[in-house]
Amino acid sequence: MNEGCQRYIEDPEANASHLETCDACRALFGELGAPPPAPRPISVDELPLAGWEGASHRAWPLVVAGLVLLAGIAGVLFAIAGISPRVLFAQLPSLDVMASLIRGGGAFVQNAPMGWQVGIGIGFLVINTILYVLLRRAPRGVDAA
Amino acid sequence: MRRSVMFLALLATLIAPLAAASSGSGLQSFGHSVTIDQPVKGDVQVYGGAATVRDIIDGDLFVFGDGVTFEGNGRVTGNVIYFGGQVTNREGRIGGRLYSPTSFESAAAAMTRSAVILSLLVVWLIAAVILALMSGRELRLSSVELRASALHCFALGLVALTSFVLSAIVFSYLIPYLIGIPLLAALGVFAMLTKVYGTIAVFHAVGTLVAGSKTRDQLARRKWLRGDLAMVVVGLLILGAIRMLPVIGPLVWGGASVFGVGVALATKFGRREPWFLVWRPADA
Repeated sequence: MNEGCQRYIEDPEANASHLETCDACRALFGELGAPPPAPRPISVDELPLAGWEGASHRAWPLVVAGLVLLAGIAGVLFAIAGISPRVLFAQLPSLDVMASLIRGGGAFVQNAPMGWQVGIGIGFLVINTILYVLLRRAPRGVDAA
Repeated sequence: MRRSVMFLALLATLIAPLAAASSGSGLQSFGHSVTIDQPVKGDVQVYGGAATVRDIIDGDLFVFGDGVTFEGNGRVTGNVIYFGGQVTNREGRIGGRLYSPTSFESAAAAMTRSAVILSLLVVWLIAAVILALMSGRELRLSSVELRASALHCFALGLVALTSFVLSAIVFSYLIPYLIGIPLLAALGVFAMLTKVYGTIAVFHAVGTLVAGSKTRDQLARRKWLRGDLAMVVVGLLILGAIRMLPVIGPLVWGGASVFGVGVALATKFGRREPWFLVWRPADA
């Protein structure tokens, strides 16, 4: 007897659908001559709100309002500070700086003290093993919600 | 997949000494400051110290520590890349570019910090809207997972970020062998996608927690605050407002990134598929 069977015995009407899936209960209550209780109609309004309900609605006014709000305040602040928004692009690394960074990164690990290199190697194996173990866990969000 | 990862790790471990032997030019320093008193051909790297340049460096200069000081005949023909400290007396002494990953912050500190952050939030908003329109269902599933298993997502995010950094370092061993560059590029693109997708999933989760409908009646009454798009925008505005705070903001935003990377990987970008298939013999 499992948990579902227990719940059916305690409240047969509320758990009427259990009989359809449990051979043992069906046989037992059939022998007793008890007629299977009629399932209660489901009221959709009583069910909890599902995540997908209303999810496809597109609130464009909210998007536009958010965009105007953020861009507007940023523009005003740039104007007050007297700085062009192009400063954002000027701070991005150029291709030759990127190449230098990659080359420098390679030289760093190759010339690091042996202790660092051993530590990096061990850390790489340990961290990726932990990552592998954590990634094996199945997501449970929908079932838990 | 597991075999590939193990093979890659073994390959990197085996090739590393060969790669190390192949690079000999320039100068590297770990844990102490360096003074360049004579010409150096090749790159100079200083990790955990300061650099004083009194003669010509015919290459790039990297300083991760306490900054750079130019004196006398000191000059760098290539780029100067530094993290931490300041570059003093640099006028006319750098042939390439002067670059620092922290220069965003230093530029932002001069009254434009808020404007820079808001401009970046505009970019985030555009990315969030595009992703919500393209993959609303996936975002929603990731958001649900984040709210149901927050601790697991945070732990996974921390481990994954550490793994990205260590994998990048290990791939750097392979740079002299051409394969290192595409491996690094692939890792960079994957890390970037994970961070962007995950952070937008965090926006959705925050928006749903704060402004999500609790009942069907409430949902029916609402005109704006409903749907994936609205939840993403609300979450972004809330986290963006927190991001503006001086000390707490970067911490909260960084934490959101950790959660985001974790939930992106935990749900396989909202597809809820296993990363690794278990091998079983076929039934007769």
